[in-house]
Parts: sequence; structure tokens; C-alpha cells
Amino acid sequence: MATITINGNTLEVPDGTTVLRAAQAAGIDIPTLCDHPHLTPYGGCRMCLVEVEGARTLQPSCTLPVNNNMVIKTDTKKVLDARKFVLTLIFSERNHFCPYCQVSGGDCELQNAAYAEGMTHWPLQPNYQPYPMDASHPYIILENNRCILCRRCVRACGELIGNYTLGFEERGAKSILVADTGVPLGESTCVSCGSCVQVCPTGAVIDRWSAYRGRETQVDITNTVCVGCSVGCKVNVLTRDNSLVRIEGDWEAEMNEGVICEVGRFNPMKEKCERIATPLVRKNGTLKAATWDEALNTITAQLKPIAGKSSDGVAALISTRQPVEAIYNFKQLFADKLGSEMVTTTEEGAFTADSAVFADSLNKEFEGSLKDLQSAGAVMVFGADLVKHHQVTGFFIKRKLASGTNLLIVDNQENGLARLANKVIKASKGTKTDPLKAIMAAVVKLGLAKAMTPIKATDLDSLAASTGLITDDYLDAAYVLTSAENPVIVYESGSELVTLKELADVVNAKLISVKGEANSLAASQLHLDKALKVNGHKAVFFAVGDDEASQKTVKEFEKVPFKVVLATYSSALTSVADVVLPSTNWLEQDGHYLSLEGKLQEAKQAIKPAEGAWSTVQTMNALADKLGVKLAGDWTKELHKRVSVVEISK
Amino acid sequence: MAKPKVSSDWLAGCSGCHMSLLDMDERIAQVVALVDLRSTPITDFKHPDESGVDVGILEGGINNSSNEEVALRMRSHCKILVALGDCAVFGGVPAMRNFFTIEESLRRAYIETESTDESGKIPNDPELCVPTKVRALQDVVPVDVFVPGCPPDADTIFYVLSELGQGRMPDLKGDKLAWN
Repeated sequence: MATITINGNTLEVPDGTTVLRAAQAAGIDIPTLCDHPHLTPYGGCRMCLVEVEGARTLQPSCTLPVNNNMVIKTDTKKVLDARKFVLTLIFSERNHFCPYCQVSGGDCELQNAAYAEGMTHWPLQPNYQPYPMDASHPYIILENNRCILCRRCVRACGELIGNYTLGFEERGAKSILVADTGVPLGESTCVSCGSCVQVCPTGAVIDRWSAYRGRETQVDITNTVCVGCSVGCKVNVLTRDNSLVRIEGDWEAEMNEGVICEVGRFNPMKEKCERIATPLVRKNGTLKAATWDEALNTITAQLKPIAGKSSDGVAALISTRQPVEAIYNFKQLFADKLGSEMVTTTEEGAFTADSAVFADSLNKEFEGSLKDLQSAGAVMVFGADLVKHHQVTGFFIKRKLASGTNLLIVDNQENGLARLANKVIKASKGTKTDPLKAIMAAVVKLGLAKAMTPIKATDLDSLAASTGLITDDYLDAAYVLTSAENPVIVYESGSELVTLKELADVVNAKLISVKGEANSLAASQLHLDKALKVNGHKAVFFAVGDDEASQKTVKEFEKVPFKVVLATYSSALTSVADVVLPSTNWLEQDGHYLSLEGKLQEAKQAIKPAEGAWSTVQTMNALADKLGVKLAGDWTKELHKRVSVVEISK
Repeated sequence: MAKPKVSSDWLAGCSGCHMSLLDMDERIAQVVALVDLRSTPITDFKHPDESGVDVGILEGGINNSSNEEVALRMRSHCKILVALGDCAVFGGVPAMRNFFTIEESLRRAYIETESTDESGKIPNDPELCVPTKVRALQDVVPVDVFVPGCPPDADTIFYVLSELGQGRMPDLKGDKLAWN
């Protein structure tokens, strides 16, 4: 601990704390521009200069660690004059004219800083030097004319995402923000996560879509969960007058700490297909607008006679993007009340069924949490492309690589993370389990096995050959995986789980499966994980919501004589349906989601739905009423009934 | 004590700041009670009294030799000079042409605009004023009071005029300080 004095207040702070953080903790305001609580200190803007007794010059408080008995002053004339001078220089460098900047009026940290210092004008005139602007990216614009060279975007891109796309070219006043080696951002290695936009203090990195749609003071902010995949990132949804302005990562969120990906930030902004506004019922071959009552009566008339038929009655499937409440109600109505055996989800358990069976066989949880990646010295990714899906998990791994974490990719397909890996095992033949066995044999051969295994070192040559690779490949892989502390294996669920668990035990690694969509795990806990097979079913009810259906599912669906679709948007599915029920999208409904690490999170309504659109829960209850059955029960208890792959939070 | 005399004029701006001044509605009567409103571009007198005024207000930046002349005349005829609005304070929207050469801006304005036919030509009558780079008022004459805003709020303008009318220098901060 160090004892310091700031503006006459004596404080005790841990060694290594910066003066800025110590002052902030004590409630003493020091203005900053380049500092960001989630990024390493940089000391670029000089706004946070303070006077330190005994120091020859003013010191940047953001990069200055405390010393015992340090005496600091933040409000002397010298400090205040320097602050104003720093602002004067920043404003003189580039085009900081406010009236035509979309962050002006509250969202610009530079403007706010100038107001706070009471600046009514710029003491130095700007130099009117134009800087390049890059509008090649579909979502993000780099506007160098507004840049103050704070490098928050560069640090976010590197430190938070591990992508290192953004950087600076040239020196001094000529410095410009560029992507990669100076290529247009739209053609760069950018993964469109938008973290640069979220941290930019001025209007230099702009989100095209939300520009001029509303400032921070004019919007409503809903803290909710992204339902783009099973990672379960917390997001803040900004809305104005009941329409979406933009989506930001929640800095307070324990798991994602402000980081989200393209799927969470920009995909919901993309132009959507046509919304379904009213229920539709097929009459004389064409879909006609109908009332909810009419639509539900049509469905009831078809379902009532086939209620209780287990194998050739009604088939039902629901999207795993739906909240647990909806999935539970859905299961209750179709499986428990109408007695159908064919009740499943859009994913048909593809990413969960095998792990769930394995957990059943172990009779306990066997997976770790995403937090384990923070301390992982080595990561093995097995069969999951974390550049395409579950991107935030990929960011967690990529950001660790700079500090020396090993990465091993074991994938028969092309893998997006392969170019960053220490070793890639891409088998050209053999089964999916062969490479796993070969790695185990190599670990045994290295004498580093931490658990018993029937696989022997002498098996290595033949196992390696069976995958079309050489022995050295597996020795390399085994070394990458075992030469560091706390290895973690991230995998996409499949039938190889027994072997994978064995490997995890042999190298003492934590296992994490990425699962599929937002509520894959919840659906699995509710036993909705079987493959869809339509065989003589008289009716099918498909609650697709705002999700998309695979072509295979659509094909199965088309086989059934009477088809009901509950959907948000028009699609191939709705065009062949006999009854279409309009549904809310993820922003328009409340509900719970079970993340891949077993965390139960609440999603909140951010936008009021259109008059005709109902949530799935509402629709299920209305349909149950018509069918004369009652939906009751507690989904929270139901989630815990089955042994889970990962511990589920209460 | 006689009421302070106030004159105003506009330069390279859009006249929006004067519109914002009028936006103070009935409070203009309070202002007139405090000050002796002399020449303005929206009243009959167009030039400040030869004997001088107490407060001169200028809207807009300086973008040609005529603006320069008006600014110099106002400066030499007033005790306190007020730069009203973003154009006068910073250069504002007209200053965006500083990122191009004057020839480029003139060509764009008189020849290349979509609504101009082949007969478009850059005016070059010797009696016309000469365009210059756009400058903030303070880059041409010393300024005493800066009132930024695009336009400044009517409330802010009322505050500035009533302070000056009562012999005090306005101090813009908090809600009254806005650049956009």
C-alpha cells in the first residue's frame, strides 16, 4: 500500500495504482480523453496532467503509478492552464467543427471536455489540412479529420478483440488511422465487431447506421442479452421513439465486459425481410389476412381430432432463439398436453444432444466456464470455427495469444483461427476421433500424461498415419497443449465426446462446448433435442419466430398436410404454410436465456411490438385455451431436472 | 446613465443568429428597455453611428474583402465587440471551403452546380469584393465576447444582451455554452 495526498486528501491505495485511478476512486475528477477503464493506459492526450510535488514538469496521471508519500495537485492554475492549452492544440490540429458532426451535443468527449473548461472559442485557428476518410466498410466509417490520435480504437482492436486490424501510419500531426497495411477498412482483416466505434471519444470512428438517429441523452437504454448465439453477451439496446438506434456491449457485464461481435451489434440493424403484420389463413389456395381468433380456431379445428396421437398426430418444432418460457410452454402444449412424440427445436439437438447424453452417463457436469479462458496458457479448438460463430469466444482466445497463450486447432475443415495457431491438425482421412487419440498417444510418448489412458506411446505412428499426417505433427500438437498451464479445450459437440473427455483428462484441460443458438442448452435441458422426422403426421406447428429454418427442415415441413408457422418475417416457410401467426422479435419480448456456460440471464423488452404481433408465450396460452387445456408448471425447476453438461445458475 | 447603444451586422453567415435573436419573442421589449438598439441588418439603420456605439455584434465569419471592411468599421466604432454564433466564433460552415482552394470553390459554385447550364461563369466584375479564405472574426479584429452556437439559443442571446445592457460582461457556461 502507498500513502498519497491528492488536493490535500490523504489516501491509502495499493502499490501500482495509477494516480488517475486513485483520484477516480477518491471521487476527484481528472478529465481524460485517451483513457478508458477497459484499456491499458496510453498517455496520449495529455488532458490528465497533474502537478506532483518534486517533479520537474506536469505529469500525465493515467500512466503515473503512485509512490509512497506522493503529493499531487489536480486543480492548480498551472494544471488548469495546461489543460486548456492541450485542448487548444487538439482543436487546432484537425476539423473539429461541431455543427455537422453526429456526436456533437453530448456524445463527444472532446466537446464535453471543452465545455467543462468553459472554452467559448478556439484560441488558435485550425490548420484546414484535409485528412483521408475511409467509408469502404459496410458499418464503420473512419473519419481521420475528427481524430485526436488517442488510439483507443487501436487498443480496443488489439487488446479486447485480439484482431490488430487498426493501427497508425505516419508520425506527429500527419498520423492517420489505417486498417492493416493501409488497405480500405472494408477490404481489411476487420471482423466488424464495432468495438472501435464504441470506444471512440469523438466522431472519428462512426457507426454509419446510427449516425444522427439519436444522442445518448435522447435515447432509452435497455440492458438485455444478445440472442445471436449461446455465448449470452450482455448488451445495451439504445432506442428512440420505439425504434432501434444502436446496440452496444455492456461494459459492466461480468462475462463479455463490453465486447460483442458483428452478430450482436450490426446484424439486427441490417435491412430485414418483410414483417408479418396480421395472422394469415389459407383460403382457396391463397393466404388471406385473418383475425387472431379466426386463425386460432382454424388451428384448433385441425389439432383437436389428432390430440393424443403420439407418432402420427402433430409434429412441433421451435427455434432455440426463443426464451425458455416460450420453449417450456411450447413443450407443455405439444408434448405433454397433445401427447406428440415429435416435439423438437430448429437445431434438432445437433450441438447439445451428444454432450447431454454424455453428461447423463457421467451423471454430473463436466464443462468449465468461459472465465477459464482468461487463465488458459494453452487452448485447443476442436471442430468449432470461432471466427464464424460464437465470435466473442474467439475474441477471448485471440486476445490471449499476444501474451504467449498457445493455440492448437484440430479441425478437418478450414478453420478461421488456423492462421493464428501454433499448430494445426487437419486430418485428411480417418475418423474424427483419430486425431484426438493420436494427440493422446503423443502426450503419453512425451511422458506428460496426467491421467491413465489405454492408449500407448507405441500407438502413435499408426494413429498418425491413419489421419494422413506424420508423427511429428502430433508431437508438436501435444507439446503446444501440454507446455503451458491451465489448458482449455473448446469444442463443438459431437459423438467424439468420450475420446475428447479422455484427452481432457490426460492433459488436465477444462472442456467448454460452444453449443448452438441462444437457448440450445435450455432446450436440451427440456429434452427437446431429437432429430426431426416427419412420418405420417397430420399437422405441423413451427414456431420459427425471428430465426431462420434450414432447407432440410423446410423440406420435412412441406411433407405435412396442415402447416402452421409462427414467424416474425416472411420467408419460404410462411409462403407454404396454411396458417401464419405473427410473432414478436427478440427486442420485443421478455424472457430468459441459458448461456453456454449455464448462466440464466434475463432478456428485456426494448421495443413495443406492433399491434398484431404476439410473443410465443402469449400465442401458446391462447391456443391452449382454445384447445381446452391448461399450461402450468415452473420452467426454472424443469431446467434443473436433467443432469447438465455445465452447472446451471439458479 | 444613458442606455448603451448597440449595433449589429452580418457577414459570412446564414442570418440564423439574427433569427435566433428574434426568437426571444416578447423579451425583445425587455432588451429595448435596457439598450438603445441602433443599426441592424433587419431594421432601417444599416450602419453604426459615426460617433460610435457601446456594443457591436457581428454574425458570420470573414470570407471576402467586403466582410473585412464591415468588421473593421464595426470594430473601430464600438467599445465591446461580440462574435455571435459559430461562424463568427470559429468560422463555422462557410469555413469548410478552406479545405479547398478558392478557385475550386468558385468553380463548384458558379460552373459545376447541377442547376447551372453552359453559360455559367465566375463573376469577375472589378467592383465586386474579393473572396478570401474564411476566417473567424477574431482572426481579423480583436473580439471581446464570444457567443458560440449554431445558432446560439435565444435564451443565451437574451442573457448576453441583458448583461451587456446592464454594464456587465456575460460569462457563458453550463447550459449557455454550446457550440452546435
